[in-house]
Amino acid sequence: MPFVEIERLVKRFGEEVAVAGIDLNIEKGEFVTLLGPSGCGKTTTLRCIAGLERPDAGEIRIEGEVLASADKDIYLSPEDRNLGMVFQSYAVWPHMTVFNNVAFGLKIRGVGAGETKEKTDKALKLVGLAEVTDRYATKLSGGQRQRVALARAIVYGPRVVLFDEPLSNLDAKLREQMRIEIVRLQREVGITTIYVTHDQAEALVMSDRIVIMDKGVIQQIGDPETIYARPANAFVANFIGTANLMEGKFLGREGELADMEISAGEGRPPIRLKVPGTEGVAEGQRVILSLRPEDVSLHLESPAAPGPNLLEGEIIDTIYQGNFLDCQVRVGPHEVGVQMDHFEQLASGQKVYLTFEPDHGLLLTE
Amino acid sequence: MTTEAAPPEFDLHTPQKWWQGLFTQERIATTFVSLVVAIAVILPLITLVVSSFLVLDDLGFDTEWGLENYRELFGDRLIRKAFVNTLMISSGTTILATFLGVSLAWINARTNCPWRESLEPFNLIPFFMSPFVGAIAWHNLASPKVGLLNNLARSLFGIEGHILNVDNIYGIIWVTGIFFTPLVYLFVIGSLRRMDPSLEDSARTTGAGLITTTMRITLPLVTPAILSGAIIVFVTSAGEFGVPFKLGTPYGVETLTTQIFTKAVGDDANHYLGAAISMSLGIITGLFIWIQRRVIAPREYTTVTGKGFRPNIIDLGKWKWAALGFNLFYIFVAVFIPLICLFIVSLHPVWEGRIIVEDFTIINYQKAVFWWSPEAIESATNGIGNSIFLALTGATIAMFLAIIVSYMIHRTKGMGSRLLDYLCLIPIGFPGIVLAMGVLITYIQTPIYATLWILMLGYITRFFPYGQRNISSIMMAVSEELDQSSRMAGATWMTTLWRITIPLLKPGIFAGWILLFVIFLRELSISIILYTAGTETLSVGVYYLSNFENEPMTAALSLAQSLLLLACVVVFRRIAGREALTA
Amino acid sequence: MNQSETNGQYLEINNLVKYFGDDRAVDGISFSVPEGKFLTLLGPSGCGKTTTLMCIAGLLKPDSGEITVGGASFTSTEKKIFLAPEKRDIGMVFQSYAIWPHMTVEKNISYPLEIRKINASEIDDRVMEIIRLVGLEDMVGKDATQLSGGQQQRTALARAIVCRPSLLLFDEPLSNLDLKLRERMRIELKRIQHEIGITSVYVTHDQAEALVMSDEIIVMSKGHIEQTGGPHAIYARPANRYVSNFIGIANLIAGKIARTTDSGRAEIEVVQGGERLILPCLLGEGLKTGDDAFLSVRPENVHAVRERPEGPSMEGEVIQTVFLGNHLDCRVRWQDFEWKVQAHPRERLREGESVFVRLDADHTLAVQP
Repeated sequence: MPFVEIERLVKRFGEEVAVAGIDLNIEKGEFVTLLGPSGCGKTTTLRCIAGLERPDAGEIRIEGEVLASADKDIYLSPEDRNLGMVFQSYAVWPHMTVFNNVAFGLKIRGVGAGETKEKTDKALKLVGLAEVTDRYATKLSGGQRQRVALARAIVYGPRVVLFDEPLSNLDAKLREQMRIEIVRLQREVGITTIYVTHDQAEALVMSDRIVIMDKGVIQQIGDPETIYARPANAFVANFIGTANLMEGKFLGREGELADMEISAGEGRPPIRLKVPGTEGVAEGQRVILSLRPEDVSLHLESPAAPGPNLLEGEIIDTIYQGNFLDCQVRVGPHEVGVQMDHFEQLASGQKVYLTFEPDHGLLLTE
Repeated sequence: MTTEAAPPEFDLHTPQKWWQGLFTQERIATTFVSLVVAIAVILPLITLVVSSFLVLDDLGFDTEWGLENYRELFGDRLIRKAFVNTLMISSGTTILATFLGVSLAWINARTNCPWRESLEPFNLIPFFMSPFVGAIAWHNLASPKVGLLNNLARSLFGIEGHILNVDNIYGIIWVTGIFFTPLVYLFVIGSLRRMDPSLEDSARTTGAGLITTTMRITLPLVTPAILSGAIIVFVTSAGEFGVPFKLGTPYGVETLTTQIFTKAVGDDANHYLGAAISMSLGIITGLFIWIQRRVIAPREYTTVTGKGFRPNIIDLGKWKWAALGFNLFYIFVAVFIPLICLFIVSLHPVWEGRIIVEDFTIINYQKAVFWWSPEAIESATNGIGNSIFLALTGATIAMFLAIIVSYMIHRTKGMGSRLLDYLCLIPIGFPGIVLAMGVLITYIQTPIYATLWILMLGYITRFFPYGQRNISSIMMAVSEELDQSSRMAGATWMTTLWRITIPLLKPGIFAGWILLFVIFLRELSISIILYTAGTETLSVGVYYLSNFENEPMTAALSLAQSLLLLACVVVFRRIAGREALTA
Repeated sequence: MNQSETNGQYLEINNLVKYFGDDRAVDGISFSVPEGKFLTLLGPSGCGKTTTLMCIAGLLKPDSGEITVGGASFTSTEKKIFLAPEKRDIGMVFQSYAIWPHMTVEKNISYPLEIRKINASEIDDRVMEIIRLVGLEDMVGKDATQLSGGQQQRTALARAIVCRPSLLLFDEPLSNLDLKLRERMRIELKRIQHEIGITSVYVTHDQAEALVMSDEIIVMSKGHIEQTGGPHAIYARPANRYVSNFIGIANLIAGKIARTTDSGRAEIEVVQGGERLILPCLLGEGLKTGDDAFLSVRPENVHAVRERPEGPSMEGEVIQTVFLGNHLDCRVRWQDFEWKVQAHPRERLREGESVFVRLDADHTLAVQP
């Protein structure tokens, strides 16, 4: 039996449907991220699990215990669920010291003074705040507040810890550091974690599994590598990383591979491409080719051994990023983004050749 | 498009000389206004301090330096009693207003009490009304002999004597308490609304129930706001003149303010002793305000973030009806019952505590309100025109000063701006009657004495910081870059002020203007010291009728003043919205 | 405008100094910008970049130094000149956008023209032209409060360029936008600047922004200039350890120049936890044999391979891998040093694995400490 079970969860705000019936199972000890653009229902789902929102339909269970069920008219208060939560605004109580913030959950549970001190100190040490226990929360930096919130959420051993975009108020360098730290901590404590973010890099770095949501519906569930390499649809392909999406016609399978063609502009013969084969696509059907910019190679001269996929185009624009050079290349009616890992002086209008390995492409049907 | 030469009116090639920098529009305007403010605020205080050390000789003609005034302060039994009474009234009022204010704020901001959105504006009405009028109404409701409620009780239940008596120190506490409740209410409700709900959510997910969360998280977080509100109530009630004058003085209960009044005017006037009493009151209130502004306010946890929060609403269950009842009780005792009582009293030729329908008359209005009628009593009706003139002109001048002063405090750096910030704190710390004493002694020998302008000067000096705070709160939220980008677009300082800064501050300017307009319309404690025959104000008219005529005429003018103020409340809410008042 | 005396430089800053109290925020810096070019002042907060910009704008008065635009002196402490900001004819885009909320979009944009008392029909024409240029056609007639962050940014730009100023200043204009929008606006801003050709000075703390947008970058720290150069030069050939660390990510190890050759190459000696290595590299400016130096190499030029490669290499253990989609960020521990390595996800490096670290000699640099 999965540790956390969510069944047909629905939540409306007035007319607007925030969560439109999602199903999700989470195993014990797993780090699952709910990822999507703002308004996709990820935070609402999290708040339903926390008990801060009451679902309109569906059921939420942890360890088989029903926390909320619209049918059975069960709704446990947040304090009765034994969960931990870290909020976007940190929500560290400004009228208490760091120690008292973290110890609060233990005191509420009637834990003795000695044990409270011991557990609180341990949690503060775990998040690296052993030095500032007597300081008031108003005197802390953003990163330190985040750590206090984290220690406070795990100190009393909750069944699941919930994160609501906890890093979005931190600056870029600190954010990258905290990602790694939260994951390290989660592995160390082994606590089941549900994490909400709109930042795809955060999701890729931290999660065991990613749940991609849009418009209140789950678009794809999978581990980071799968989500990146095999997005289920165009939304996912574009939301995680960047993808060149080119519409074309499916011509038929040939073993592992398949043939398709894309337009080369008016008055020119279409371009034939070799791509990985896909089940259940009929000959002549419209398909979308998804191609990552880093999987496209750019050549100044026509390559001697181009392989099966060769596109001719001209440079629209280049953007120097230091470690990468991003090029926009016009190929017939398409604009193809190419990411090069070395610097090259390219002029707009310059003629270039693009190639890619057949198995680096991905066919999408929607 | 290519880069072109600048248009001809843009002369880039005439460099400015260094001395031209000294005479910019900005420098001239801000220097002028700071000087005006500094003189207006500091001069009366200096005279007050100086004259408190001048002792009048026995004949009452000559003065010499000495500490005699201060010795009398502690020696005179009456003044000592007044001192004790002031402290008791202020403490009692603070306790009552804080209890009412915090409960009402919590009910309105955090519970599902029915109709709370429609009730909220009514909770604020007492803020705009005159406590002096409140005292008059409650005197007619609950004085032992002519109190309407006591007479009703006598006729309904057949009891002897009375059930209520407000003509004593408890009556003063009751009336000032219910009238100053909105001061606490505004501080606390602002703090509750600006609180990040995840502070409470996180307590819930950590395992704390509703009551624990309220007691250990919510209440401690609003404590600084409660303290701020309580201190403001303490200081305001220590400086309140009208209520103790109506409900205390005739029954032997004197306070410092009524003592200052008797030393300022009347047969045994002694301005120098009055100055000493004023100094002692001013030092107490000033100290409290200093503590509030410099110690408590900076500790506010819920500062303005500019972020809108959806607060957590607590389901009270059946108790929500009790909450509604409590809120309705407050509105009835503070607003409706007093107004209805005034209306009833004003219809009687004489008031003996009983409603006599067949005697109903409008003669009181003809005498006390209708200034065009031949029976009008001029000392009362003069005030209507005077007060409207003072309110219109005074609010406008005060807001003009407030704009420039706020600009200096928030947009310029250095000594000047900090000094000005302190300067604006001084009038808030000194009760109107104390400041009026200073103004009286300073200007009594000048031509402005016995004109409306000395009243205007007192009003503006005392109250322009209220307008300034209204503007400052908006100015802090408005980025300085909005002004700077206008300068970069080629506009001078003056053009920028006129076309960018002032339009951006419009809501604050309107709100501040109407607030001052209301305060000036009901002002009593400055006016009572500074008026002379012909320069009576509305509240002085009420005072005159109450002192020298009868209760029904007093009620008529009181009601007229209250209705005028109510109309302002409606306009104020239209323009400013509910958050504008939160200090 | 008279440009004969400007040596082809349009904006010239000479020995600019600005104090805040005792703090020397700008410590005597000088630089110049040719006409039509896009210059970025880059550095961490408190490095003096915004102060410098404010001095150019006239919103701050420098304590000493001279600022000249197109031959006209804006500020000169020597000649006792200080031109008020509104007399400088400069367009400026602020960090908070500073869109006036009480005006419509067009009113915001036409304001500088109205101030200059240009006739109404010309104002209309010029406002519409600019609105098309920045792509705000859909927002015509809307109140400024209805604009999204990106649209406010466009409005601010339109307002800054509508009167064709002699100079355009940007104060961290993109820092309040979210990441995706920021990346789009960088390119958009650059395109518009290129199209209208106004000399621009841009302030940012975001190195990626500086690399993408600039013709020339000035890296600042503590009130002075660390390095001036084009984006590729700054990234590939940082002058010192500070620049190398601030721009992009760098592996930096202290060492000593062991040998130099004529062709700009060198060998650097590195000692780490008992292991001593001589590594080939490019020689940074101002270094000679025997000098203390830092080895600087970008993660994408560090390779972690399973087989021992030819030439100098370092054996270590993969201690961390972070999957970022298009690449894998790895840490490899070698002695006491952690190499930051950018690997391809298809190389499938695993934590705990033993690997050899090899540096790409053509992209390894010895820099000043």
